[in-house]
Amino acid sequence: MSSTALAASTGLDFSLAQQLAVIALCALTAFLAHLALAVFNDGVRPFLLDFVQGRTTRSATTAVSFGLSAGFIFGLGAPMALASGVLNPWLLFLPTDILGLLAPKKWLAPLLGGAWGGVVVFGLRGANNLAHDLPVDFLTALQQMATPILFLFTLFPVLAITKQFGKLLGGLAGVVELALVVLTMKVWPDVFAGAPAMAVGVLLLIGFAVARDVRQRRAAERAVAGMVSPTGEEAPVVTAGRPSEDVDPMASLFGASAARLRRHLPLFMVLGAGICLLSQLHVFGGGEATSFLVAKGQYAEAAQVDLYRSLGFIPLIATTALASGAYGIVGFTLVYPIGYLLPSPWPALVCGALVFAAEVLALSWIGKALGRLPSVRDSSEHLRGAIGDTLHLAILFGSMLAAHAMGGGLGILIASGLYLLNEATGRVVVRMAAAPAAVVVTGIVLNVFYWLGLFTPIKT
Amino acid sequence: MTTILTGGVGKTEVADAVRRLAPPGVEVAVSNDMDAVALLRAGRADYFLGTCQTGAGASLGVLVGLMGAATCHTFGRSVPSGEEINTLLDQGKRVFGFAVDQVDVITPALVGAITARA
Repeated sequence: MSSTALAASTGLDFSLAQQLAVIALCALTAFLAHLALAVFNDGVRPFLLDFVQGRTTRSATTAVSFGLSAGFIFGLGAPMALASGVLNPWLLFLPTDILGLLAPKKWLAPLLGGAWGGVVVFGLRGANNLAHDLPVDFLTALQQMATPILFLFTLFPVLAITKQFGKLLGGLAGVVELALVVLTMKVWPDVFAGAPAMAVGVLLLIGFAVARDVRQRRAAERAVAGMVSPTGEEAPVVTAGRPSEDVDPMASLFGASAARLRRHLPLFMVLGAGICLLSQLHVFGGGEATSFLVAKGQYAEAAQVDLYRSLGFIPLIATTALASGAYGIVGFTLVYPIGYLLPSPWPALVCGALVFAAEVLALSWIGKALGRLPSVRDSSEHLRGAIGDTLHLAILFGSMLAAHAMGGGLGILIASGLYLLNEATGRVVVRMAAAPAAVVVTGIVLNVFYWLGLFTPIKT
Repeated sequence: MTTILTGGVGKTEVADAVRRLAPPGVEVAVSNDMDAVALLRAGRADYFLGTCQTGAGASLGVLVGLMGAATCHTFGRSVPSGEEINTLLDQGKRVFGFAVDQVDVITPALVGAITARA
């Protein structure tokens, strides 16, 4: 448990260069959102097509962006940043989506975005210091989330395999991963125990998916040759390939979107350079588990985790970008791992720019390839589903540990009570964000109780 | 026979939820966004229910682009009433997106309204 028990720092102490990098990048991302060239929220991207084509207004699109992002900013982005001491994309780029779309004038967007960057780098530290000085310190308690998130995240390939390929293969992958975790703890105590297990799990999933696609294509070819009729395994309505008459609308929409993005290639290269630089500065973690790994200085492990995570998101980002003509603010998230691993800022700027250029130029081709690989797209959906499931449990469990750490039974009562109330009212707050948000509210309530003389802080 | 396709992160959960409701005159099939567009256009399917974390990105992305926003609707985080769904169906909405953590509350409402028209 030595190296992976708790995140090391809750610093949020930034050097001047780091502060300027965050502010400049937030200004740039807000500018790109204003031009509807890129947004971070995958849910907002589809709505940008109508906005670009003038069928909807700026304010309506802003409202969509706010509605789909607010819960993730306050429930996930802010608590994760406060708990880990490392910035994350939900905290930085969901608000710049909103501010960029909100800005009525082109010049106002980068100003608003930059201002948000300033609020984050200066305000977060203030909030952090203030919260640590409270009688009931809920930020230190929030670090309890690290262990469940890091360890449960290891399991996401197993869940994805089980959902896509059944109990037998899922169980097999589970046994293999568990054995690897135990082996790693025993033999390489300095390595994050989940890293080799996760690597093998993801490789198994990709292997199964490619094998299924190849098998189904062969079956389809045999069927065409008139030998046997193809029997779909899970009976998806269309198995592989798609009728030629339907290629046209998709190809033309996808082609027009890819061309729109290619026209702005230099801007995307600057964006890629910025995101890669931020990852290289080690003040930023691209995913939930990564934030804690970056906080502890385990950059190789962080790179590995974000690389696997990207497999779940690349098909989603590619298809939404091709359908809408707006790219992802962080691209395919491949610049995260590259940034963590690079030794200094200059190569990060160069690599980030080149990777984004390659991504934007390859979009059309990726769209075509994804059309031919239904099982791989299926895997990516199952991966995202599995990431959601493991994180839901990890964040819920970690939040309850945090509630217990700061308030014992009373803490658990208030935090889980708030969580259950959200469940009972049809989940007003996104399920994943509900528990950390409940912990923050619990921390405030416990402090109020302390001032009223109703609660004695737990000494640890 | 009315055919509902499911796609997105919770596609199997939604399909299972529909099957549990056993709506008369309605069949459900697990699909995905790209294949669903082909089937909806060809008239071989009638509705698409997509799910993802936000209820809009992965669940609707490709469909908004190819079917047009006029046939697509996202519930985001709201739980719609029967009348709301009926109004949407009257407007010709055939593609619905919702958040994967609300599958259990939104699927029955949607399928109920669709079944009533089957």
